[in-house]
Amino acid sequence: MSFKSAVITFPGSNCDRDALCYLKDLTKGEVHNIWHEETSLPKVDLVILPGGFSFGDYLRSGAMASKSKIIDEVVKHANDNRYLLGICNGFQILTEIGLLEGALIRNKKLKFLGKNCFIKKKFKNNFNLSIKDNQILQIPVAHNEGNFYCDTETLNLLKNNEQIAFEYCKGEFSNTEENINGSIEAIAGITNKKKNVLGMMPHPERAYSDFHQSQDGRLIIESLIS
Amino acid sequence: MNEELILQHGLTLDEFQVIRKYLNRDLSIEELGIFSAMWNEHCCYKTSKKWLKKLPTDNEIVIQGPGENAGVIDLQDNDGIAFKIESHNHPSYIEPFNGSATGVGGILRDIFTMGARPIATLDSIRFGLIETEKTKYLLNGVVHGIGHYGNCIGIPNIGGECEFETTYDFNNLVNAMAVGHVQKDKIFYSKPKSIGGLIVYIGSKTGKDGIHGASMASDVFSEEDEDEKRPSVQVGDPFMEKLLMEGCLELMSSGLIESMQDMGAAGITSSSVEMASKGNVGVYINLDKVPLRQPLSAYEILLSESQERMLAVIDKKNNHKVREILQKWQIDYEVIGEITDTKRVVFESNNKKVVDLPVEIIVDDAPEYDREFYIPRKRKNKDFDFSKIKLEDMIINLLTNLNYLDKSWVFDQYDSTVMGDTIREPGQSSGIVKIHGTQKVIGASTDCNPLYIRINPYEGMKYTVAESYRNLIACNINPLAITNNLNFASPLDPNIMGELVLSINGLKTAAIKFNTPIVSGNVSLYNQTNEIPIKPTPVIGMVGSNMDLNKINTNKFCEIGNKILILGKQLTKNFSPYLLQDQKIAFNICEFNDLEVLDLDFEKKIANCVLELSDLKCIMSCNDISRGGIFSALLKMQYKDMGFRVKVPDPIDLFCEYSAGYVIEIRSKDFEEVTSFLTKKGAEYHEIGEIIKEGIEINSKKFDYFDIMNKYRNDFEKIIS
Repeated sequence: MSFKSAVITFPGSNCDRDALCYLKDLTKGEVHNIWHEETSLPKVDLVILPGGFSFGDYLRSGAMASKSKIIDEVVKHANDNRYLLGICNGFQILTEIGLLEGALIRNKKLKFLGKNCFIKKKFKNNFNLSIKDNQILQIPVAHNEGNFYCDTETLNLLKNNEQIAFEYCKGEFSNTEENINGSIEAIAGITNKKKNVLGMMPHPERAYSDFHQSQDGRLIIESLIS
Repeated sequence: MNEELILQHGLTLDEFQVIRKYLNRDLSIEELGIFSAMWNEHCCYKTSKKWLKKLPTDNEIVIQGPGENAGVIDLQDNDGIAFKIESHNHPSYIEPFNGSATGVGGILRDIFTMGARPIATLDSIRFGLIETEKTKYLLNGVVHGIGHYGNCIGIPNIGGECEFETTYDFNNLVNAMAVGHVQKDKIFYSKPKSIGGLIVYIGSKTGKDGIHGASMASDVFSEEDEDEKRPSVQVGDPFMEKLLMEGCLELMSSGLIESMQDMGAAGITSSSVEMASKGNVGVYINLDKVPLRQPLSAYEILLSESQERMLAVIDKKNNHKVREILQKWQIDYEVIGEITDTKRVVFESNNKKVVDLPVEIIVDDAPEYDREFYIPRKRKNKDFDFSKIKLEDMIINLLTNLNYLDKSWVFDQYDSTVMGDTIREPGQSSGIVKIHGTQKVIGASTDCNPLYIRINPYEGMKYTVAESYRNLIACNINPLAITNNLNFASPLDPNIMGELVLSINGLKTAAIKFNTPIVSGNVSLYNQTNEIPIKPTPVIGMVGSNMDLNKINTNKFCEIGNKILILGKQLTKNFSPYLLQDQKIAFNICEFNDLEVLDLDFEKKIANCVLELSDLKCIMSCNDISRGGIFSALLKMQYKDMGFRVKVPDPIDLFCEYSAGYVIEIRSKDFEEVTSFLTKKGAEYHEIGEIIKEGIEINSKKFDYFDIMNKYRNDFEKIIS
């Protein structure tokens, strides 16, 4: 059975093409591109909310996109127990919709951060099955508001339910940071309670091709397909 | 018309008399505004035209040379590359965030106006001494602005330069370059195709921002001007530009557009006049139809530089389809006029013709000056005293100078990997991106050596072009073509004019030798405040390619134990300007020796060796040698905690500048093959050492690797905060 997927494009999305290529190249299955004004989603295994600046990030990152017409369908897709992945702005949109806990606030240095970062998996889920414990992945980040924040109660909930998928860590060599953007407990990605919805700030779709600096981003799709 | 009003519009009285005589009537205020916008330095190149005409602009791969929104070169098959660099110096000094942001916005529009999708940006930025709060404020604002715009629209920033020097204290430079990919059979030009075509307005509504921006950019500054001129700085909205870009590219790929022109400097005036001039036709525009943000007079509409606006010509029958596509992207769209056969520019407002001028007088009769210029005196050569300088001091001098430190603080604020095709990020000798869906790569680099050019404008410019060339060669990228941004002080000073003329000549010589024609460019004059002129800063943006992404070189060390070889010719310590300046041996510009004549044939010979060895996969990594010599090149190459052990006759050799200088890393097993190849080619080489783990060792003296690397990587941020 071939793996089917879709990428939603909002006005201002700028990683939608990258996500489409990522899915096409790695799943070898059908990939749909869905405009935000659509009111139906094809039946697919995975939906990606891509990175970018949906609606210019005006009001609050992801806030306007979370009210788009297509979002009802995206929520239905998630409630159907199928996979939903929000990358960067997509993660911000997921927290705005309320599918994921917490919020993404400005980076601790109050500056945009575009560089390679290092992450490892925290708790196992279907998105990181193919990643070994303590395996360090190198994946680029590019965000202004990637500093994950939630209250203590929520944090305990995330831990108890094993919803923390990825955390930032130091790389193999000197001059790499433990926690690049100041996220609480260095959280880089979380899932919902059922673990079929993942939001992450790093961009796996920029780290999969042979010519990319790292191919570690493949592991997420490989995990889902396996 | 009173003299004061004429002078306020940046026209000389002589220039005004030319117009007055031609028309044989008085001008309306709107018409005066048009001449103010079109006859300033920024739009009509009245000082530089005579010299720019001498530049080589064509060869077998040039599809479009200067004169369009961007130049385009052929990359085989159906692939073309559009690129251009443009300055936003004055606005970025007055309002650094918006000034630099709209600089990026403007250059991106130039690219997608040609039907090209932007695939990379680079920025050449220069500031004064960091010790002043003002410079810190400007640096923060400019970097934030560039990042804000480029990140949001989603075009990777792949490189550029960032330098500090006191003559930029009151005149920082912001030159933004963009590169786009276009299908050769879908290039769009500003020339309209048919009489009767509808002129349509696409994009943001027009507001008061940027009125007289272009003429401001053609004026000298005094410090008090700053507050007064702030309203002339445009405000950018990258989200709108993203929508505009997607909307326009969709229109163009659907074949619904005849021609397009972006409303950049001098807004609707310049774009419509250029359309008429290119097509040898007339334009009629009803200003009442222009979408407005606020009530504006006809004069203000004509001169507004509101951002994210386009002017296009479409066939009447496509009106409905165009509107539909733009509605999807939520972009304003209005039919505002049509192409006529009158060869006149006519603007109407409130049923009255406010402008009615022959295109000829605005464009063809624009002034062109042959300004007086001086050639610098010949310098007397001398030997400097190096006896007091120790190796440790030389290293510290570099590590306490912002110009040598790692610029990650700048680049990390830019998204350099969006679009998923980035191969080399900023901080390497050239940025490299893949052409989407192919194996082809494009490399680009921006460079300038203002100190060299101040010493000897002609030779200095040759060195500048050669540095860009080397930056590409080091990555195994074939240099193809050039865009330039000539930043100078006031050309009314014959010394400055001399720098302009001679550096253009140097550019010409080098571009012909390298077969890298100039396909686009920009001139920014009057960069002086309180009578302090900037150093001559003609920035080169060079673009090249490799048809196979697997063949390109890295600039970073690959493996411990590999050998380090030096190619090229040392300029020697008495003839290395940056060594003398940055090691505090020469202070005053008149102290320096003349530049050594740069042998461009030698540059080519060594470059070909590097390219051939790269294709043979003998080069593991390579970097060019520029400011800071071999030592600085080696610092830039460190990676994954690998350092170097080197032996040289005199430690000062490590800090000298080079012609055709490259550091190459090779495996021991390839040593024979590489050296016999070089010998056969008659290319001198020096084996100076090897790559080691976590160490820096010079002539058996050991330095603390982590101490040096920490300073190199992290002190930039400390110094500027």
